[in-house]
Amino acid sequence: MAELEVSGLVLRFGGLTVLENVSLSVEPGELFALIGPNGAGKTSVFNCISGIYRPSQGRVRFRGRDITGLPPHAIARAGLARTFQHGELFRDMSVVDNLLTGRHARFTTGPLAEALFLPSVRRQELEHREAVERIIEFVELERYRHAPVGGLPFGIQKLAGFARALAMEPKFLLLDEPSAGLNRDEREDLARFLLRIKHELGLAMIWIEHDMQMVADLADRLQVLDYGRTIALGTPGEVLNDPAVINAYLGVAE
Amino acid sequence: MSKPLPSASGHFRRSYADEFRLIETRLAKTSAAAFALVLLVFPFAVSPFYVDLATQVFLAAIGALALMLLTGIAGQISLGHAGLLAAGAFTTGILYKEFGAPFWVTLPSAALAGALLGVVFGLPSLRLRGLYLAVSTLALHFLVVYLGGEYETRRGFSTGILVDPPVVFGYEIYAPRVWYFVLLAAAALTLLICINLMRSRSGRAWRAIHSNETVAEALGIGIARYKLLAFVITSAITAMAGALFAYYRGFVSIEAFSLYLTIQYVAMIIIGGMGSLLGALLGALFVTLFPYVIEGAMAALPGADRLAGSVFAVNYAAFGIVMILFLVFEPQGLVGIWRRVRNYFLLWPFRQTALGERP
Repeated sequence: MAELEVSGLVLRFGGLTVLENVSLSVEPGELFALIGPNGAGKTSVFNCISGIYRPSQGRVRFRGRDITGLPPHAIARAGLARTFQHGELFRDMSVVDNLLTGRHARFTTGPLAEALFLPSVRRQELEHREAVERIIEFVELERYRHAPVGGLPFGIQKLAGFARALAMEPKFLLLDEPSAGLNRDEREDLARFLLRIKHELGLAMIWIEHDMQMVADLADRLQVLDYGRTIALGTPGEVLNDPAVINAYLGVAE
Repeated sequence: MSKPLPSASGHFRRSYADEFRLIETRLAKTSAAAFALVLLVFPFAVSPFYVDLATQVFLAAIGALALMLLTGIAGQISLGHAGLLAAGAFTTGILYKEFGAPFWVTLPSAALAGALLGVVFGLPSLRLRGLYLAVSTLALHFLVVYLGGEYETRRGFSTGILVDPPVVFGYEIYAPRVWYFVLLAAAALTLLICINLMRSRSGRAWRAIHSNETVAEALGIGIARYKLLAFVITSAITAMAGALFAYYRGFVSIEAFSLYLTIQYVAMIIIGGMGSLLGALLGALFVTLFPYVIEGAMAALPGADRLAGSVFAVNYAAFGIVMILFLVFEPQGLVGIWRRVRNYFLLWPFRQTALGERP
């Protein structure tokens, strides 16, 4: 059974059709890349999956469960974590607090116990602080852990956003252009983290990406969108040589 | 709330539990002890006028801390603060007058009344933001003031309700110095509760919602639940402050809860510094003392007798000017000034700030 299955997704804003019958299916443990020119509808697919948009038609199934139309926090709790194109971290909060916020749904403390900082609260805070530190080590953000995120370089912020999604201990990751804005070194780090997540944690991922070299090197399969429609699907070798894909990216040869 | 150590403090943490300690360095320990000592000795060292002033600051601090949670931390603007204080004061006044209810009944009842109002007037926050939300909370103010006024006239207390001093364990809280300590303890307890909420998941959820609702929800935070929670906690604390105010003054009248009082509380959190609990305390101190300082300054001017009539007008104007100056030149408020001064001395003779910390 597919880990995540999207079928017949249609998204319309008034007269504008953003997604026209998009289907995709991701197998367990698969690194699945979603590519396409700007405005192809990649992020819209993510917004439909994560509940930020409600699709006009179509279903989203996660591990066999229909999650279409659930509110975003319920989808996050079901185990789907996502990152955002521009990081979207909580700027006034430190890296540690951002990651702890990612673990929000894993706490069981209530406001009354928190107001008194009862031993149960202290214990959970400590436990999750340690879990957060493991993620910080994983993405090598140790020296930034207490710094307010707003003052950090963009590349570090992006990495922190990636770490915040990991801190949720998700069953599935939706990565929205994690490499955008990163320099060469940071991209290589990112590639290493993606491979480690795949091999050590066995997480399935949908990965929106514009760096074709990275996609060709890392992705198991990829799907290409253009104007809200799927134009190709397959392994990197097959898809990146497909004339339709080359046309979408570079235009038709005269 | 994970906090960086002040740069170059020479102090190092040895465990994650150290991050939860409220007082970490020896310098912090010494200054906290010295401050506590000053607070303890203060009422015995000054005239009753200043004891009353300090007591007013403590009362304001409770309300300002509560409003800071809602507006400064959770980002939900409310103009119903005076209404909530009035709700607490009138709950106390009515329960006392009609049923002779004792302190330990009126205080929780005030909290309950506040919490209920918080739920009702928090509901619009699920749909409205910013100015629109502010306007909807304004309705709370007028509703409470209307009901309070109706009660006063129908029962014939047109000048207000007299409330006798509360009796706790057979002890009457009446003397100004006793009130000083009672309200100091109440303010300290409120501060502790706020700190605790801020360093656990509710506080993080509020800050996340303030920062970006869409992202907060994508992380699994139930937005509606935490917005309402912020309204309920703030309203309950504020209503209790209103109840304490009623007992302290010994008198409840609707005139005390004008819209200007709301503006003063909003000013406290803006002048103190949005998003900071210390800011709420500094703001409460500043706004409470400000009119007295202006009055004192005007009395010291030559020809003070002729100016006496315009003290109120000058006060309002000066208050407005100070608000504008803070908004334009120091959006981080008094707490921003405090941080700059502290960093200057901590880093001296260097001028570089710590990693990621904004100068």
